[in-house]
Amino acid sequence: MRDRSIVAALALLMTASLPLLWAQSSVPPEAGKIQKAPAAAHVPDFSGVWGPSGKTVNNWFPNDPRGQHPEQAPMTPWAEERFKAARPPFGANQTFEGINDPVQKYCDPPGVSRVYLYPWEFTFIQQQDVVYVLYEYTRTWRSIAMNKEHSKDPDSTWLGESVGRYEGDTLVVDTIGFNDKTWLDHLGHPHSEALHLVERFRRVDHNTLELQVTVDDPKAYTKSFTGTKVFSLSTSPMGEGICSMSETEAFQKNVIDPTTTKK
Amino acid sequence: MKSRLLPAVVLATALFTAASATYAHHGTAGYDMSKVITVKGTVTKFDWSNPHCVIYVDAKGENGDVQHWALELGAPTHMTRAGWTKSSIKPGDAIAADTHPAANGATIGTTGMQSSVLKVVVNGVTLSTK
Repeated sequence: MRDRSIVAALALLMTASLPLLWAQSSVPPEAGKIQKAPAAAHVPDFSGVWGPSGKTVNNWFPNDPRGQHPEQAPMTPWAEERFKAARPPFGANQTFEGINDPVQKYCDPPGVSRVYLYPWEFTFIQQQDVVYVLYEYTRTWRSIAMNKEHSKDPDSTWLGESVGRYEGDTLVVDTIGFNDKTWLDHLGHPHSEALHLVERFRRVDHNTLELQVTVDDPKAYTKSFTGTKVFSLSTSPMGEGICSMSETEAFQKNVIDPTTTKK
Repeated sequence: MKSRLLPAVVLATALFTAASATYAHHGTAGYDMSKVITVKGTVTKFDWSNPHCVIYVDAKGENGDVQHWALELGAPTHMTRAGWTKSSIKPGDAIAADTHPAANGATIGTTGMQSSVLKVVVNGVTLSTK
Protein backbone atom coordinates (compact mmCIF):
# COMPACT_ATOMS: atom_id res chain seq x y z
CA MET A 1 0.00 0.00 0.00
CA ARG A 2 2.78 2.34 0.94
CA ASP A 3 4.77 1.28 -2.19
CA ARG A 4 1.80 2.06 -4.34
CA SER A 5 1.61 5.49 -2.81
CA ILE A 6 5.28 6.13 -3.55
CA VAL A 7 4.87 5.02 -7.15
CA ALA A 8 1.80 7.16 -7.56
CA ALA A 9 3.63 10.15 -6.13
CA LEU A 10 6.57 9.63 -8.46
CA ALA A 11 4.24 9.31 -11.43
CA LEU A 12 2.47 12.47 -10.39
CA LEU A 13 5.79 14.24 -10.04
CA MET A 14 6.96 13.16 -13.48
CA THR A 15 3.69 14.11 -15.09
CA ALA A 16 3.84 17.52 -13.50
CA SER A 17 7.37 17.97 -14.78
CA LEU A 18 6.60 17.12 -18.39
CA PRO A 19 5.37 20.57 -19.40
CA LEU A 20 8.54 22.08 -17.96
CA LEU A 21 10.72 19.59 -19.84
CA TRP A 22 8.89 20.22 -23.09
CA ALA A 23 9.18 23.94 -22.54
CA GLN A 24 12.90 23.72 -22.01
CA SER A 25 13.36 21.74 -25.26
CA SER A 26 11.37 24.28 -27.26
CA VAL A 27 12.87 27.48 -25.94
CA PRO A 28 13.27 29.72 -28.98
CA PRO A 29 16.70 31.17 -29.81
CA GLU A 30 17.47 34.31 -28.00
CA ALA A 31 16.00 37.19 -29.89
CA GLY A 32 18.49 38.96 -32.15
CA LYS A 33 20.82 36.00 -32.44
CA ILE A 34 20.42 34.00 -35.69
CA GLN A 35 21.80 30.52 -35.63
CA LYS A 36 24.10 29.97 -38.58
CA ALA A 37 24.29 26.72 -40.53
CA PRO A 38 27.71 25.15 -40.83
CA ALA A 39 29.72 26.79 -43.59
CA ALA A 40 29.34 24.89 -46.88
CA ALA A 41 32.40 23.96 -48.93
CA HIS A 42 33.04 26.29 -51.89
CA VAL A 43 31.22 25.09 -55.01
CA PRO A 44 32.26 26.92 -58.16
CA ASP A 45 29.37 27.93 -60.38
CA PHE A 46 29.33 26.33 -63.83
CA SER A 47 25.76 27.26 -64.61
CA GLY A 48 24.76 28.25 -68.10
CA VAL A 49 25.00 26.70 -71.54
CA TRP A 50 28.49 26.37 -72.97
CA GLY A 51 29.11 26.52 -76.69
CA PRO A 52 32.02 26.58 -79.13
CA SER A 53 34.31 29.57 -78.90
CA GLY A 54 35.39 29.56 -82.53
CA LYS A 55 38.80 27.91 -82.39
CA THR A 56 38.91 24.51 -84.02
CA VAL A 57 40.24 21.68 -81.89
CA ASN A 58 40.15 18.26 -83.53
CA ASN A 59 42.22 16.32 -81.02
CA TRP A 60 43.81 16.65 -77.58
CA PHE A 61 47.47 16.61 -78.61
CA PRO A 62 48.73 19.99 -77.44
CA ASN A 63 51.23 20.50 -80.26
CA ASP A 64 48.69 19.97 -83.03
CA PRO A 65 45.15 20.86 -81.89
CA ARG A 66 43.77 21.06 -85.42
CA GLY A 67 45.22 17.71 -86.36
CA GLN A 68 47.34 18.68 -89.31
CA HIS A 69 49.84 15.93 -88.54
CA PRO A 70 47.81 13.26 -86.77
CA GLU A 71 50.32 10.53 -87.62
CA GLN A 72 52.83 12.16 -85.27
CA ALA A 73 50.85 11.30 -82.14
CA PRO A 74 52.82 9.12 -79.67
CA MET A 75 50.99 5.93 -80.55
CA THR A 76 51.87 2.38 -79.60
CA PRO A 77 51.86 -0.22 -82.39
CA TRP A 78 48.39 -1.28 -81.17
CA ALA A 79 47.03 2.23 -81.64
CA GLU A 80 48.87 2.87 -84.87
CA GLU A 81 47.27 -0.14 -86.51
CA ARG A 82 43.82 1.13 -85.65
CA PHE A 83 44.66 4.69 -86.60
CA LYS A 84 45.79 3.63 -90.06
CA ALA A 85 42.50 1.83 -90.60
CA ALA A 86 40.44 4.87 -89.66
CA ARG A 87 38.79 6.89 -92.39
CA PRO A 88 37.86 10.06 -90.53
CA PRO A 89 35.58 12.91 -91.59
CA PHE A 90 37.85 15.64 -90.19
CA GLY A 91 41.44 16.76 -90.16
CA ALA A 92 44.36 16.17 -92.51
CA ASN A 93 43.13 12.69 -93.47
CA GLN A 94 39.48 13.68 -93.89
CA THR A 95 37.53 11.80 -96.51
CA PHE A 96 34.00 11.14 -97.69
CA GLU A 97 34.87 7.71 -99.06
CA GLY A 98 34.48 4.56 -97.06
CA ILE A 99 33.90 6.50 -93.86
CA ASN A 100 34.12 4.29 -90.79
CA ASP A 101 33.67 7.00 -88.19
CA PRO A 102 31.42 5.21 -85.68
CA VAL A 103 29.42 8.37 -85.02
CA GLN A 104 28.83 9.22 -88.66
CA LYS A 105 28.27 5.64 -89.75
CA TYR A 106 26.39 4.13 -86.82
CA CYS A 107 25.23 7.08 -84.69
CA ASP A 108 27.34 5.62 -81.88
CA PRO A 109 27.87 7.92 -78.88
CA PRO A 110 30.85 10.20 -79.51
CA GLY A 111 32.44 9.35 -76.17
CA VAL A 112 33.54 11.58 -73.33
CA SER A 113 36.67 13.08 -74.85
CA ARG A 114 35.42 13.48 -78.41
CA VAL A 115 32.03 15.01 -77.64
CA TYR A 116 33.69 18.30 -76.70
CA LEU A 117 35.29 18.61 -80.13
CA TYR A 118 31.94 19.03 -81.92
CA PRO A 119 30.50 22.54 -82.37
CA TRP A 120 27.58 21.81 -80.07
CA GLU A 121 26.61 22.90 -76.58
CA PHE A 122 26.59 21.32 -73.15
CA THR A 123 25.49 22.26 -69.66
CA PHE A 124 25.98 21.19 -66.05
CA ILE A 125 23.48 20.31 -63.35
CA GLN A 126 25.36 20.58 -60.07
CA GLN A 127 23.89 18.71 -57.14
CA GLN A 128 25.64 18.00 -53.86
CA ASP A 129 26.43 14.34 -54.47
CA VAL A 130 26.35 14.22 -58.26
CA VAL A 131 27.04 16.49 -61.18
CA TYR A 132 25.27 15.79 -64.44
CA VAL A 133 26.63 16.95 -67.78
CA LEU A 134 24.11 17.17 -70.60
CA TYR A 135 25.45 17.19 -74.14
CA GLU A 136 23.43 18.64 -76.99
CA TYR A 137 25.03 16.47 -79.66
CA THR A 138 23.37 13.06 -79.70
CA ARG A 139 21.47 14.18 -76.56
CA THR A 140 23.84 12.23 -74.34
CA TRP A 141 24.24 12.86 -70.63
CA ARG A 142 26.53 11.48 -67.95
CA SER A 143 26.66 11.51 -64.18
CA ILE A 144 29.71 12.31 -62.06
CA ALA A 145 29.64 10.96 -58.49
CA MET A 146 31.12 13.66 -56.28
CA ASN A 147 33.70 12.95 -53.59
CA LYS A 148 33.55 9.21 -54.12
CA GLU A 149 36.13 6.63 -55.01
CA HIS A 150 36.02 4.51 -58.14
CA SER A 151 34.55 1.04 -57.86
CA LYS A 152 37.07 -1.76 -57.84
CA ASP A 153 35.92 -3.34 -61.09
CA PRO A 154 33.81 -0.95 -63.14
CA ASP A 155 31.93 -2.08 -66.21
CA SER A 156 33.26 -1.13 -69.64
CA THR A 157 30.79 1.42 -70.93
CA TRP A 158 30.47 4.12 -73.58
CA LEU A 159 30.93 6.99 -71.12
CA GLY A 160 32.93 5.28 -68.39
CA GLU A 161 32.63 5.65 -64.62
CA SER A 162 33.21 9.20 -63.45
CA VAL A 163 34.02 10.52 -60.00
CA GLY A 164 34.60 14.17 -59.29
CA ARG A 165 35.70 16.73 -56.75
CA TYR A 166 36.18 20.47 -56.54
CA GLU A 167 39.67 21.84 -56.18
CA GLY A 168 39.18 25.51 -55.55
CA ASP A 169 37.49 26.88 -58.65
CA THR A 170 38.10 23.74 -60.68
CA LEU A 171 35.86 20.73 -61.19
CA VAL A 172 38.11 17.70 -61.56
CA VAL A 173 36.53 14.63 -63.14
CA ASP A 174 38.31 11.29 -63.17
CA THR A 175 36.96 8.61 -65.49
CA ILE A 176 37.83 4.97 -66.08
CA GLY A 177 35.83 1.96 -67.22
CA PHE A 178 35.53 2.82 -70.89
CA ASN A 179 34.80 0.42 -73.69
CA ASP A 180 37.07 0.89 -76.72
CA LYS A 181 34.32 1.51 -79.28
CA THR A 182 34.68 5.27 -79.49
CA TRP A 183 37.38 7.35 -81.11
CA LEU A 184 39.46 9.51 -78.83
CA ASP A 185 39.03 12.44 -81.21
CA HIS A 186 37.85 13.50 -84.67
CA LEU A 187 40.94 12.15 -86.42
CA GLY A 188 40.49 8.46 -85.76
CA HIS A 189 42.98 8.16 -82.90
CA PRO A 190 41.80 5.16 -80.88
CA HIS A 191 41.76 4.50 -77.17
CA SER A 192 41.67 1.24 -75.26
CA GLU A 193 39.63 0.07 -72.30
CA ALA A 194 42.58 1.12 -70.17
CA LEU A 195 41.90 4.78 -70.89
CA HIS A 196 42.10 6.98 -67.82
CA LEU A 197 40.69 10.41 -68.56
CA VAL A 198 40.90 13.48 -66.37
CA GLU A 199 38.86 16.57 -67.16
CA ARG A 200 39.49 19.88 -65.44
CA PHE A 201 36.80 22.50 -65.86
CA ARG A 202 37.52 26.06 -64.77
CA ARG A 203 35.36 29.11 -65.30
CA VAL A 204 37.98 31.64 -66.32
CA ASP A 205 35.45 34.47 -66.26
CA HIS A 206 31.68 34.66 -66.39
CA ASN A 207 31.57 34.00 -70.13
CA THR A 208 34.50 31.62 -70.54
CA LEU A 209 34.97 27.99 -69.58
CA GLU A 210 38.31 26.28 -69.96
CA LEU A 211 38.53 22.50 -70.24
CA GLN A 212 41.78 20.61 -69.91
CA VAL A 213 41.66 16.96 -70.90
CA THR A 214 44.46 14.63 -69.81
CA VAL A 215 44.67 11.32 -71.63
CA ASP A 216 46.48 8.45 -69.99
CA ASP A 217 46.23 5.20 -71.96
CA PRO A 218 49.43 3.14 -71.84
CA LYS A 219 48.02 0.52 -74.19
CA ALA A 220 47.44 3.14 -76.89
CA TYR A 221 49.95 5.94 -76.21
CA THR A 222 53.55 5.93 -75.07
CA LYS A 223 52.98 8.94 -72.86
CA SER A 224 50.11 10.87 -71.40
CA PHE A 225 49.19 14.25 -72.81
CA THR A 226 46.92 17.18 -72.02
CA GLY A 227 44.96 19.32 -74.42
CA THR A 228 42.87 22.41 -73.84
CA LYS A 229 39.69 23.77 -75.30
CA VAL A 230 37.82 26.93 -74.42
CA PHE A 231 34.05 27.40 -74.51
CA SER A 232 31.88 30.49 -74.44
CA LEU A 233 28.70 31.13 -72.51
CA SER A 234 25.83 30.85 -74.96
CA THR A 235 22.50 32.66 -75.09
CA SER A 236 21.06 29.93 -77.28
CA PRO A 237 19.13 27.16 -75.54
CA MET A 238 20.19 23.61 -76.29
CA GLY A 239 18.41 22.10 -79.28
CA GLU A 240 17.67 18.62 -80.49
CA GLY A 241 20.89 17.08 -81.73
CA ILE A 242 19.61 13.55 -81.86
CA CYS A 243 21.52 11.20 -84.16
CA SER A 244 18.95 9.16 -86.06
CA MET A 245 20.10 6.24 -88.19
CA SER A 246 17.30 6.75 -90.71
CA GLU A 247 18.17 10.43 -91.17
CA THR A 248 21.87 9.65 -91.25
CA GLU A 249 21.40 7.01 -93.94
CA ALA A 250 19.25 9.34 -96.05
CA PHE A 251 21.88 12.07 -95.85
CA GLN A 252 24.60 9.60 -96.74
CA LYS A 253 22.68 8.47 -99.78
CA ASN A 254 21.54 11.88 -101.02
CA VAL A 255 24.59 14.02 -100.26
CA ILE A 256 27.73 12.12 -99.28
CA ASP A 257 27.66 9.16 -101.67
CA PRO A 258 27.20 11.22 -104.86
CA THR A 259 30.35 13.17 -104.03
CA THR A 260 32.42 9.99 -103.95
CA THR A 261 31.49 8.53 -107.34
CA LYS A 262 33.63 9.39 -110.32
CA LYS A 263 32.04 11.70 -112.85
CA MET B 1 29.77 14.57 -116.85
CA LYS B 2 30.63 17.75 -115.04
CA SER B 3 27.78 20.11 -114.35
CA ARG B 4 27.72 23.39 -116.22
CA LEU B 5 25.26 25.86 -114.87
CA LEU B 6 23.76 28.70 -116.87
CA PRO B 7 24.31 31.24 -115.50
CA ALA B 8 27.04 30.26 -113.07
CA VAL B 9 29.27 32.74 -111.33
CA VAL B 10 32.58 31.38 -110.20
CA LEU B 11 34.15 33.36 -107.41
CA ALA B 12 37.42 32.89 -105.63
CA THR B 13 36.08 34.80 -102.66
CA ALA B 14 33.18 34.31 -100.29
CA LEU B 15 34.79 31.18 -98.93
CA PHE B 16 33.88 29.98 -95.52
CA THR B 17 36.26 31.95 -93.36
CA ALA B 18 36.57 28.92 -91.14
CA ALA B 19 37.42 26.59 -94.01
CA SER B 20 39.23 24.34 -91.61
CA ALA B 21 36.50 24.53 -89.02
CA THR B 22 34.45 21.58 -88.05
CA TYR B 23 31.10 20.74 -89.46
CA ALA B 24 28.58 19.53 -86.98
CA HIS B 25 28.83 16.04 -88.45
CA HIS B 26 31.56 15.74 -91.08
CA GLY B 27 34.31 17.75 -92.80
CA THR B 28 34.74 19.24 -96.25
CA ALA B 29 36.62 16.43 -97.98
CA GLY B 30 34.16 16.00 -100.85
CA TYR B 31 33.95 19.67 -101.79
CA ASP B 32 36.11 22.12 -103.73
CA MET B 33 36.40 24.77 -101.02
CA SER B 34 38.43 27.03 -103.32
CA LYS B 35 35.45 27.55 -105.59
CA VAL B 36 32.04 29.15 -105.15
CA ILE B 37 29.30 28.94 -107.71
CA THR B 38 25.73 30.21 -107.70
CA VAL B 39 22.98 27.69 -108.23
CA LYS B 40 19.83 29.31 -109.64
CA GLY B 41 16.56 27.53 -110.01
CA THR B 42 13.45 26.36 -108.24
CA VAL B 43 13.27 24.72 -104.85
CA THR B 44 11.77 21.24 -105.01
CA LYS B 45 12.26 20.31 -101.36
CA PHE B 46 13.68 21.79 -98.15
CA ASP B 47 14.72 19.07 -95.73
CA TRP B 48 14.85 20.54 -92.20
CA SER B 49 16.34 17.62 -90.30
CA ASN B 50 19.50 16.22 -88.75
CA PRO B 51 22.31 15.67 -89.47
CA HIS B 52 22.12 18.55 -91.98
CA CYS B 53 19.37 20.59 -93.59
CA VAL B 54 19.35 20.17 -97.37
CA ILE B 55 17.91 22.38 -100.11
CA TYR B 56 16.96 20.50 -103.24
CA VAL B 57 16.96 22.68 -106.36
CA ASP B 58 16.12 22.09 -109.99
CA ALA B 59 18.46 24.33 -111.99
CA LYS B 60 18.80 24.77 -115.72
CA GLY B 61 22.05 23.57 -117.20
CA GLU B 62 23.96 25.15 -120.06
CA ASN B 63 22.41 22.77 -122.50
CA GLY B 64 18.93 23.47 -121.21
CA ASP B 65 18.86 20.29 -119.25
CA VAL B 66 17.46 20.21 -115.76
CA GLN B 67 20.02 19.56 -113.07
CA HIS B 68 18.99 18.29 -109.67
CA TRP B 69 21.08 19.89 -106.97
CA ALA B 70 21.36 19.10 -103.27
CA LEU B 71 22.85 21.89 -101.17
CA GLU B 72 23.69 21.04 -97.58
CA LEU B 73 23.49 23.44 -94.67
CA GLY B 74 24.01 23.13 -90.93
CA ALA B 75 21.80 21.05 -88.66
CA PRO B 76 18.38 22.54 -87.73
CA THR B 77 19.73 23.66 -84.35
CA HIS B 78 22.57 25.55 -86.01
CA MET B 79 20.34 27.00 -88.73
CA THR B 80 17.96 28.25 -86.03
CA ARG B 81 20.89 30.07 -84.48
CA ALA B 82 21.57 31.56 -87.89
CA GLY B 83 18.07 32.99 -87.92
CA TRP B 84 16.43 30.45 -90.23
CA THR B 85 13.28 28.40 -89.67
CA LYS B 86 11.79 25.35 -91.32
CA SER B 87 9.66 27.76 -93.33
CA SER B 88 12.52 29.94 -94.62
CA ILE B 89 12.41 28.04 -97.87
CA LYS B 90 9.46 26.26 -99.48
CA PRO B 91 8.98 24.10 -102.56
CA GLY B 92 8.32 26.33 -105.55
CA ASP B 93 10.50 29.21 -104.30
CA ALA B 94 12.87 30.85 -106.73
CA ILE B 95 16.36 30.53 -105.33
CA ALA B 96 19.90 31.68 -106.04
CA ALA B 97 22.29 30.01 -103.62
CA ASP B 98 26.06 30.26 -103.43
CA THR B 99 27.74 26.96 -102.78
CA HIS B 100 31.08 25.17 -102.73
CA PRO B 101 30.50 22.44 -105.32
CA ALA B 102 31.47 18.79 -105.09
CA ALA B 103 35.02 18.20 -106.25
CA ASN B 104 33.95 15.37 -108.56
CA GLY B 105 31.45 17.51 -110.47
CA ALA B 106 28.33 16.01 -108.91
CA THR B 107 25.41 18.37 -108.47
CA ILE B 108 26.03 18.54 -104.73
CA GLY B 109 27.28 21.51 -102.78
CA THR B 110 27.84 22.85 -99.32
CA THR B 111 26.13 26.16 -98.68
CA GLY B 112 26.26 26.28 -94.88
CA MET B 113 28.60 25.18 -92.13
CA GLN B 114 27.21 25.17 -88.59
CA SER B 115 25.55 28.58 -88.35
CA SER B 116 27.54 30.26 -91.12
CA VAL B 117 25.78 30.36 -94.46
CA LEU B 118 26.86 31.54 -97.89
CA LYS B 119 24.57 33.94 -99.71
CA VAL B 120 21.11 32.51 -100.33
CA VAL B 121 18.44 34.60 -102.05
CA VAL B 122 14.89 33.29 -102.00
CA ASN B 123 12.18 35.06 -104.00
CA GLY B 124 14.46 38.09 -104.15
CA VAL B 125 15.12 38.23 -100.39
CA THR B 126 18.57 37.44 -98.97
CA LEU B 127 18.32 35.09 -96.02
CA SER B 128 20.38 35.51 -92.87
CA THR B 129 23.98 34.44 -93.24
CA LYS B 130 25.13 35.04 -89.67
